[in-house]
Amino acid sequence: MTSTTWRVWLRRNLFRNLRDGIITLLTAFIAGWILWKVLRFVLITGRWEIVERNLALFMYGRYPREDLWRITLALCVAAFVTTMLFSMWSRADRAGVKRSPRTMLGEIGRRWWPLIVLGIVLLSFVTTVGPWIAACAAISCLFAGALLGRALSSAPVRIRGSAVAVTMLGIVVLLWFLADGLGWDDWGGLMLSLYLAAAGMVLSFPLGVLLAIGRQSSMPIIRSLSIAAIEITRGVPLVVLIILSSEGLGFFFPQDVLPGKVVRVIVVLTIFTAAYVAEIVRGGLQSVPNGQSEAAAALGLSPTRITAFIVLPQALGNVIPALVGQFISLFKDTTLVSIIGLLDVISVSESIRKQSDFKGQGLVAETLVFAGLLFWVGSSTLSRESRRMERRLGVGER
Amino acid sequence: MFDGQRWAAVRAAACLLKGSAMKYKSNHVRWLALLGALLLMLAACGSDDSDASDDSSADVTSGDSTDGEGASGDSNGGSDGNVLAGVQDAGVVRCGTRDALPGFSVLEDDGSHVGFDADFCRVIAAAVLGDAEAVEFVDLETEARFTALQSGEIDVLVRNTTWTASRDGVEAATFLQPNFYDGQGMMVATDSGIEDLDGLAGAVVCVAAGTTTEGNVANEFARLGLDAPEIQSFEDTDLIQEAFQQGRCDGWSSDVSQLASLRSDYPDGPDALTILDVVFSKEPLAPAVLDGDSEWAQVVNWAIFATIQAEEFGITKANVDDFLDSDDPSVMIFLGQAGEDGAVVDPGLGLPVDFAYQVVAQVGNYGEIFDAHLAPLGIERGLNQLWSDGGLLYSPPYR
Repeated sequence: MTSTTWRVWLRRNLFRNLRDGIITLLTAFIAGWILWKVLRFVLITGRWEIVERNLALFMYGRYPREDLWRITLALCVAAFVTTMLFSMWSRADRAGVKRSPRTMLGEIGRRWWPLIVLGIVLLSFVTTVGPWIAACAAISCLFAGALLGRALSSAPVRIRGSAVAVTMLGIVVLLWFLADGLGWDDWGGLMLSLYLAAAGMVLSFPLGVLLAIGRQSSMPIIRSLSIAAIEITRGVPLVVLIILSSEGLGFFFPQDVLPGKVVRVIVVLTIFTAAYVAEIVRGGLQSVPNGQSEAAAALGLSPTRITAFIVLPQALGNVIPALVGQFISLFKDTTLVSIIGLLDVISVSESIRKQSDFKGQGLVAETLVFAGLLFWVGSSTLSRESRRMERRLGVGER
Repeated sequence: MFDGQRWAAVRAAACLLKGSAMKYKSNHVRWLALLGALLLMLAACGSDDSDASDDSSADVTSGDSTDGEGASGDSNGGSDGNVLAGVQDAGVVRCGTRDALPGFSVLEDDGSHVGFDADFCRVIAAAVLGDAEAVEFVDLETEARFTALQSGEIDVLVRNTTWTASRDGVEAATFLQPNFYDGQGMMVATDSGIEDLDGLAGAVVCVAAGTTTEGNVANEFARLGLDAPEIQSFEDTDLIQEAFQQGRCDGWSSDVSQLASLRSDYPDGPDALTILDVVFSKEPLAPAVLDGDSEWAQVVNWAIFATIQAEEFGITKANVDDFLDSDDPSVMIFLGQAGEDGAVVDPGLGLPVDFAYQVVAQVGNYGEIFDAHLAPLGIERGLNQLWSDGGLLYSPPYR
């Protein structure tokens, strides 16, 4: 607290002797220099007009501009159900703990600051009133969802279960609703990446678990098929699979029986991620001691139940960090679709540099830094939430 | 969206699931039933997609007076090797372009494609479907453009592509009437004092990768008996510009139209660069379709000729309606209007008789398209004038 204590701390940790002092000063100088350069770029020299003008392209590509209310509505519903589930789930865990609004706001800030920063950055680029309305609507939906979740957290399990089921159905309807505006194949921008990543995660997880169980099966056909599927997929670079799906399949099948490009990419991402998920889950399965399944068998549980209720929950709990890592890399890998001509964030930043107002100005840094920010916020939120989940499940504390 | 077919499938799936779960107690069977149900639902979704595309074709082509078979709501519409019928079925022309070629096609902030090539895609859509906006733009990298054509991903390639013999042969592409005659040139820094290719002997020449440009430079220097220059390829013109500014390149070679546009955007001002007075290659940029469907090739060809013929007649987007009662019989035939004898001449291309009218009314004539997109870049008409003005644009007669 007093000036002497921090002086002592400085002396102990940073300036213990001459060498430490030099290293400290040098590091501080380099760090300060980099920070200065970055801040100067972000606040002064960066020509952000290109991002400001093309924000819509970055966010949702060529989505019909007259149908944007669909995205607003979808955003609201998504915000509502996510916070509802979150608060229902976390309140159920520690019912009865009272917190003041101030600590709650503080917690929201600590927990979601990357998203909040992104929101502020995005709104700072906005010149029309539409996005403000969308943001206000989404924020009110966030709080409405939190309140409903809080009310539901003390409800019986059956009601909470049906709330989850309704949510799942809601997400499907939501996708349908968004696709109604432009079809399944014209998605673009960040919305395309989120769509691809979400579809890939949701579809690859069950497939990966099945493959992992299949690989440990005692039936030779299932085992060898699973091994073949996993090893062949893992042995081929994702880029090759993506290019093959978009440019290669047309040589084997007539175009009119093939689904659109985006659907093909979802299939590829699903299969590819499933192979990695399978290996991660297999590691988890092997980490569960044999005694667990033996004890369950002694209690008379069927093999299916042993896997579903005894082994898998423990196995999956053990591999959350690795699974989330895989999903984060799936999210970032969705940028690979720019090479097959889909309009994702990276192709947007390539294309808009050729617009007549911006061409020849070398705005690579501005567009790519912005694209990087979008992905960093998504990935870091995913990984921070997964760490919270680990802590809550008590993984690593046994 | 929820049509009878899919409901039937979902119901069948539900019955299967319920029935088997009641009949058999074994878990395996239940899982199999679930799997079957999922497959059925997938199949139902799949058939829904094709229905959806049929709906849109009905919307777009219903106004057409052609053969009408595309709009009949027939659920298994397909191309069966006939691109024109496939396009009319789908109600959209899939056009291969590049989003990042200033002047030729650029993605604007409202999501629209703007440029010379993009407008020629619209010309084709206006001729075939009567709706210039019925275009699906497929963004193609240089290396992917012929693959996309061969695999049937696109119907026509309008992507700043040079017509060469080997592309006609090896790439299974059929090139059509060039929409832009270009030629390769060389650009140098003004203060380098270089005035002709002799001055670049043994120097560093920078070009964009994956084009015919590299070979042309080497050939030209060999033909002139000069020391071969060191050719450096770059993925992106921004990178060449950067290298040029840093003095890592002595010459910058590309099509003259590209050089003109690059020069006009150069950060140090256009005067810092000089385009040498040499053109050492022929670069006819032409739309291409896949080999083996001459009907479709003719359709695209005549759509392009329509823009040229319209300019020759002096018909523009603005005044096209004034020509609908022209005294000139050839104008009346061109616009698909009934002549003095009351008969409409249908050339039998498989297009609506008024396709040229739609092209001009919705997109414009060649000169208008050029002035809108290429003139602002400082590109001269040059070879791309009408034959009557000393250029190469010459449309066969419409009769």
